[in-house]
Amino acid sequence: MKTFDCEPTLTDREVIRFCRDGYYELPEAVDKETCQHILDFLKDNPNDHNQPSALLSEKWFVERLLCNGPTAGAIRSLLGANFILPPVMANHPGPCPEPSPLGWHVDGANMHTFALNYLQVFCLPQETTLEMGPTELIPGSHFLLGQSALVGHYGVIRGAKKCVGPAGTVFITCYPIWHRRLKATSIGNIRHLLKYNYLRNTAPVRDWIIEDNFDPARQTSEFSHLNAGAPYMRRNILDCYDAARMYLWLCGLEEEYRYIGGHAWPMPLSEELQSNEDAYAAPPSLASTKAAFRPIAPLI
Amino acid sequence: MNDTQFSIDDCLTQLDQGTLTRQHLQKTFDLVTGCERRQDLLYLQTCESSLHATLLGFRLLVDGTYVDEPDSDEKWPYDSVIDAIGDGWRVISFPNMALYLDENRTYGLGFEFILEKWR
Repeated sequence: MKTFDCEPTLTDREVIRFCRDGYYELPEAVDKETCQHILDFLKDNPNDHNQPSALLSEKWFVERLLCNGPTAGAIRSLLGANFILPPVMANHPGPCPEPSPLGWHVDGANMHTFALNYLQVFCLPQETTLEMGPTELIPGSHFLLGQSALVGHYGVIRGAKKCVGPAGTVFITCYPIWHRRLKATSIGNIRHLLKYNYLRNTAPVRDWIIEDNFDPARQTSEFSHLNAGAPYMRRNILDCYDAARMYLWLCGLEEEYRYIGGHAWPMPLSEELQSNEDAYAAPPSLASTKAAFRPIAPLI
Repeated sequence: MNDTQFSIDDCLTQLDQGTLTRQHLQKTFDLVTGCERRQDLLYLQTCESSLHATLLGFRLLVDGTYVDEPDSDEKWPYDSVIDAIGDGWRVISFPNMALYLDENRTYGLGFEFILEKWR
């Protein structure tokens, strides 16, 4: 397997945003010339439309799509050093028009977990508009337990993210995120969507960019999905607890996670309420007072 | 007055006028017994178990076909389950609370109500 390494580019806040939303958007991460090169390849190789893995042996493709600065830096932040490059390349050519949306689904062999050992990436090799039937995903749904057989009857969902954007836009996603293709109203073209997975090759550790003005032991509202403007989706603020647990896993600190409840970390407090002290029972490795008392997580 | 009530009313009028035919009576009978009726379905997902709770999602099946989804939240047909009931929809399935008792795990999208209309 081919590996790659580079400097991480995401900050603490951006890593938390990924944990919370289940995706991270990089507009125009791939340059226009490379995108055109990909479209030319797909046009010249119709038999490879669904699985253009031949591209993986092209130097230009590896350097400029798989390992371009913004994408590789984000992948490096989330999967750690010497991550493994995608061994397989898929493409979803969607005909236009397409009168109905596809059903919501979670890709096969999905596993709902706080561990992040691989990332599924969607890349738009062409400018993708709403009329072309883009992919739609539900922020935070990577923590919503549900297999494809159970979510296919859903229709329009509030707060869904439409993956539109200029050519070269990349969406890094958590594998079990719910997604579907929207209906397409444009005529006579094909919407392409490259889809591939990067894999972890090292144990998780908090080695991304640490910001001077952000403290995850205190600024807990970053973990809250509602804080990002999403509609209420999960009861008992589980979105916040799950994002915090994934963040701790990525830090290599999952054993410090405790679900204590109440106003204990990571209960999201508004900016006004956040004090200059650590949240109650913050994980010791993140806290400024490492010996502070932490109750045992109560059993239910 | 719905289609069935209209047809019965029409039968009574024709009976009074002496023009009621067997064919017309059979058609009305089929309507009443459901032979010619179609069920429309409305799936609603809400953020809480209350009938007044905010909708998270919906899907509408009319005459055997899924209705086109609106392109913005402002164009959703209803704001809540109670809003849909007020428009004549009948609830045929309430969310099963037994499935929501584990507070640390959430399955699917919120709380699901299924409603029907007959045409």
